[in-house]
Amino acid sequence: MITLLLIICNILLIPLLFIGVINKVKALLQTRVGAPILQPFYDMAKFLGKGETISETASWVFVWSPRIGLAIAFMAAVLVPWSGLLLPASWVPATNLLLVLYLLSMSKFLGMLAAMDTGSAFGGLGASREATITVLVEPALLIGLGTLAVGAGSMDLATIYTQPIHPIVAALIGTALLIAALAELSRMPVDDPTTHLELTMVHEAMILENSGRNLALVEYAVALRSCIYFGLAAQTLCRVWPGFQALSPVWHYLAGLTGLFLMGIAVAAAEGVLVKLNWRRVPNFLILATVFSLCAALIAVTR
Amino acid sequence: MDIPDIPGGFAFWCGAALLAWLIIAVGGLYLRRSLSLLFPVLFGIGSLLILICAILSTTGTVTLPLPLFLGDAGIALTVDPLSRWFLGIIGLVGIPVALFSPGYFRHMQERIAIGVVWSGLALLFISMVGVVLAANAIFFLVAWELMALSSFLLVASEHSLRHIRHAAMVYLGATRAGTAFLMGGFLWAHHITGSWSFADWHIAGVAALGPAFLILLGLLTKAGSWPFHLWLPIAHPAAPAPVSAVMSGVMIKTAIYAMIRFFVIGDHISAPYMAVAILVLGAISAFWGVLFALLQHDLKRLLAYSSVENIGIILMGIGIAILGRELALPALAQLGLAAALLHTLNHAIFKSLLFLGSGAVDAQTHIRDVEFMGGLLRNMPWTGAGFIVGSAAICALPPMNGFVSEWLLYNSFFELALHGPTAIVRLCAILLLGWLALVGALAIACFAKAVGVVFLGLPRSAAAAHAKEADRGMVSAQIILAVCCAVFGVMAVALLQPLGQVTALLSVGKPLVEYWTIPMPVLVILLLATVSAITLGVTALSRGQKTKRYITWECGFGTLNARMQYSAASFAQPIARLFGGLYNYVMRIDRRGRNRRHFSEEISATMTHEPYLETRVYNPLLHLIRRMASAFLMRLQAGSIHQYLFYMLLVLALLLWVGARQ
Repeated sequence: MITLLLIICNILLIPLLFIGVINKVKALLQTRVGAPILQPFYDMAKFLGKGETISETASWVFVWSPRIGLAIAFMAAVLVPWSGLLLPASWVPATNLLLVLYLLSMSKFLGMLAAMDTGSAFGGLGASREATITVLVEPALLIGLGTLAVGAGSMDLATIYTQPIHPIVAALIGTALLIAALAELSRMPVDDPTTHLELTMVHEAMILENSGRNLALVEYAVALRSCIYFGLAAQTLCRVWPGFQALSPVWHYLAGLTGLFLMGIAVAAAEGVLVKLNWRRVPNFLILATVFSLCAALIAVTR
Repeated sequence: MDIPDIPGGFAFWCGAALLAWLIIAVGGLYLRRSLSLLFPVLFGIGSLLILICAILSTTGTVTLPLPLFLGDAGIALTVDPLSRWFLGIIGLVGIPVALFSPGYFRHMQERIAIGVVWSGLALLFISMVGVVLAANAIFFLVAWELMALSSFLLVASEHSLRHIRHAAMVYLGATRAGTAFLMGGFLWAHHITGSWSFADWHIAGVAALGPAFLILLGLLTKAGSWPFHLWLPIAHPAAPAPVSAVMSGVMIKTAIYAMIRFFVIGDHISAPYMAVAILVLGAISAFWGVLFALLQHDLKRLLAYSSVENIGIILMGIGIAILGRELALPALAQLGLAAALLHTLNHAIFKSLLFLGSGAVDAQTHIRDVEFMGGLLRNMPWTGAGFIVGSAAICALPPMNGFVSEWLLYNSFFELALHGPTAIVRLCAILLLGWLALVGALAIACFAKAVGVVFLGLPRSAAAAHAKEADRGMVSAQIILAVCCAVFGVMAVALLQPLGQVTALLSVGKPLVEYWTIPMPVLVILLLATVSAITLGVTALSRGQKTKRYITWECGFGTLNARMQYSAASFAQPIARLFGGLYNYVMRIDRRGRNRRHFSEEISATMTHEPYLETRVYNPLLHLIRRMASAFLMRLQAGSIHQYLFYMLLVLALLLWVGARQ
């Protein structure tokens, strides 16, 4: 019960904090003062208090997609052990990695539909690119997490992340997950979250028409998904250090969170240095994730 | 008269259903142009009876008495859990088709003879029931042929149109070739075993290679697996929508039934390499089908290619099941067979839902090209919602039914990755996980495109802008199927129980229900609660602020029009380009005007692709056959009666000679 409460607190606080830290670090690296770390919380409060403007073309899909999307992100954030907190045993079957991945796909599918619902050119553009990224990333995710599952003998994420993982496998799959996270969450070098030049955007193009509370829901879902993906990558990479598994639960949790925020700082640093890839060269970058996962699978199978 | 163990209610329910369909089959020929409700009502009753029969009847065999004989084998029917599963599929799709058809046929009443179409549909259902129940090869072939011919008639319903005649002929050719292989395989199997009855067929080892190869070839042609999928995208768009729904949802599945009957359960035919062959063909079909579905602009063609994909997924399950039997891994065999069977049922539901949806769109707008649709959700809310549910289900998104079967298939791959005999096998199993994920992601792209371009955004033509919702029957048919998609997804346990009886025919392990560990009902209730909480919270927090309706952002250039939206071709372009090497994807952009580079006055883009299988293999093959025919065969059939008499004499002499030698 206490873990469940802790998990819910986690979900309410850390995602927006994570986004705030990324933005702050990025600003500091660019020698700006930047917005306060808690700015995402203020934004959320602001958006939620506002009315919204909906396109005349939009249907119920546009209204309900962010709500279902957030509910799914919430559920996934409870189920995925991204912070190192483990669910009670009766919940373990629900953490099945296929269920989680396909639930996230469901929210992505609804997001694409909502983007195309307003009849704007950008919505279609964003949705099309999102679909392409999904095609490139999904195999890497399943091969990578599948390899871990084979090592643990179970497809439940909660079980997978209690078993020891070979350091090289952990490093490879952690990197693959990190690349997948960069793509899924539209960070550099796949997408530039700060740009507002429509033709280069992926995620921003999809939510161009969202405003007010509708936008708040989407932004919160993105923050939750960031934590899920980056957290999972951090958890996997942490296992390169063999002692990580042996830590006591509290230290385990703190080390996992440290890993997550370090990863956020790394992402911010990368965004300060890297330029966004030409859209046509994105597949060449994303295929790396599949290659890393495949290498990991090869090592795991032959061992 | 010797009638052994007629199973309980089977004879009654099945007989009554067949009678209802027979009345339609005969009546349709007399009331050719009638729109009367007699046909759909009787048809629905027949389907309902078959569904009841599937649920209630027990295992057993019925052999009809002596005068009803076919050659040296009787008309014998076997009912077991496997055939009941398929009877259930037939009945389940039949009911919505009966509801949908009257409204749909009204739109085509000048172009088709409605009574004849009903008659064809009834014959198709009778023959499908026959195929699923046949206990010997001869009766199986009779039913199989009746099925092929009645569906040919249905594809050719609008035979006044040239392209429809062409499609029907292509279908006829494909199904003829398939039956020829099947017949050859049956003859070979009969030669080895000396019996027509499937129960006596036990062929294994190298001897089984020949019959297995021929039978597999015949069945794959009917199922529409790669590389024999050619007829699907031609025949499905040509047929009326309810017919496409039945053909894609149920008819091609009879080949899956036969495959499971011969190769998977009961040790009938087990040839080496069979599992790997089916697995590889399934994997290619799944990828190939969805890749080409993504490129299509005709909604029904898109759905037809997606059937190729789903048949591929089912075949992968069958391959795994055979592999599990060969490797003596009961869990693997059970999961593979369960995935194949459940996906067969699920695909029957969501594919007929999608085909009926496309039929409703076709009937209301009279357009087939998705590039002229758009915004239909506004005027056709029920059809649109049904199509969205069907799309989510076909993409295997939880909590829809497609997720359950793909989950079982993923788990069978996982089982193979855990317990595979060698490292290579285990690696291949992990690769299959990724492969299925790739197929799933492509399906999401494909159906996001279909839903987005057809139902969302601005209408791209006047016909789409002024469409009206379909009539009550058509809508209720789609609602029934959409509800099935959701209920079978959430209440998967209820389906896995009877499915366990079928998989028990193959291997006895732990009960199938125990593999399904996901507490879906709880999760769905939690999700619904969260969605309502979010909705309430958002409404409360906004403190009565108004929701404003305003135009979509158009960068301040003036009014937004439908041509500014992403088209289906542009949506698919990035993915099509990724795999462009497989089908020679070329995008040509033409710019015209004085200052072409910066201020083109006219820009046009055309995307082309070349399906190599058609252009490089089938077309040359057909060309060759046609040339050979005109050079040689056509002289044989020159219309001269003397010549024909001479052939008869030759054949008689040949038979006498063969007879004398024995």
